Amino acid sequence: MNRLSQLALSDEGFVFDPQTGDSFQVSETGIAVLRALKEGRSDEDIAQQLVAHFDVALEEARRDCTDFRSQLKNFGLA
Amino acid sequence: MKDLAIGVSGINAVDNPGPGIGVARSLKEDASLNARIIGLAYDAMEPGLYMDWVVDRSFIMPYPSGDGGAYFERLAYIRDQHGLDLLIPNLDAELPLYIKRAGELKDMGVGTFLPSMEQFKLRGKDKLIEVAERMDIKLPKTKVCTSLDQLIAAVDELGLPVMVKGSFYKAYAAYTSTQAVSHFHALVAEWGYPVIVQSIVVGEELNVIGLGDGEGGSLGLVGIKKISVTSLGKIWTGVTIKHRAMMEAANRFIRELKWRGPFELECIVKGDDVYLIEINPRFPAWVYFATGVGVNLPARLVRAALGVDQPPAPDYDAGKLFVRYSYELVTDMVKFQQAVTRGEVG
Repeated sequence: MNRLSQLALSDEGFVFDPQTGDSFQVSETGIAVLRALKEGRSDEDIAQQLVAHFDVALEEARRDCTDFRSQLKNFGLA
Repeated sequence: MKDLAIGVSGINAVDNPGPGIGVARSLKEDASLNARIIGLAYDAMEPGLYMDWVVDRSFIMPYPSGDGGAYFERLAYIRDQHGLDLLIPNLDAELPLYIKRAGELKDMGVGTFLPSMEQFKLRGKDKLIEVAERMDIKLPKTKVCTSLDQLIAAVDELGLPVMVKGSFYKAYAAYTSTQAVSHFHALVAEWGYPVIVQSIVVGEELNVIGLGDGEGGSLGLVGIKKISVTSLGKIWTGVTIKHRAMMEAANRFIRELKWRGPFELECIVKGDDVYLIEINPRFPAWVYFATGVGVNLPARLVRAALGVDQPPAPDYDAGKLFVRYSYELVTDMVKFQQAVTRGEVG
């Protein structure tokens, strides 16, 4: 089981890593991206979902997904 | 189960708390044990003497020094006057005496559940290299020094900064050679040789509390992260975690050393790499944290010591929060007077 799938994510955007005890706060968009990543969905799929639910262009949504994933990598979570 | 008189030391619930109150509270919360807690204190100011909802009767003890003659006479008195079925020593300085004379305690009808002297010595800071190998766990680069020349050579080889540690207690970070030498002299003066010099590993500080059955089996493990600590480095808030590599290392520690009794592993974790920093051969002061998440290790220790069958250790949830707090009690001066003049309270 990878680290990402183990993360506990509340509806308020509080994220808890049960391996290390670290906790994070993510925005409403972050919640949507994290939930989708935990489900194993592709970046393109997630970007499409962001466009459908938030006021954002597809290119920007793609960039946000890439940024978010690289931040997760920095934390050793992806 | 009949009324059990259980002696518990380390009832100094102060800013650098002993584990005794957490142990006693855990035992009280297991109603089926019917535990009567006998508190063993060294000073009339130890708060546990006055916490009569946790500690039923308390005694001032002589220090466990020398051959422990006076200490054991006091234990015999407590047993004769009030009964003493089991003892749970919770302070490092008591353990060598208890382990050495565990057979004598058994002859007195007083049970213990402690590691052997060989196991106790193995977890010493100067033996961690061997233990880490057996646990298949990393250890920060470590040098054991018995002279100033060796210390200087060790600092040269490891590179600054380093941790300079006493063989029993205390550890200081040294950022210059002068600091390392100064810490070395202070530690030798207080604790004698050897002094341990270690590279500093940067990562998450994670801990495990556990109980080994002495045959390689675990009677329970709980992993935690300290979220905040006091100026003395003692936990103030913490959270339960399940770090796979660290928990596996803790299980290997129990299995490889056939550890008997309570312990705490202090680790630094970097990703999946787990570095062993220290092994404490007793319950830590935050022992009640494990009880609070459903793993009552003191109660399980009592049953193991009495040879009572018990189910496998229960699991616990990651993400449970521990919050220590300050509180006060007001009582009659008579209790303090009893502690000072009679050496017993309750």
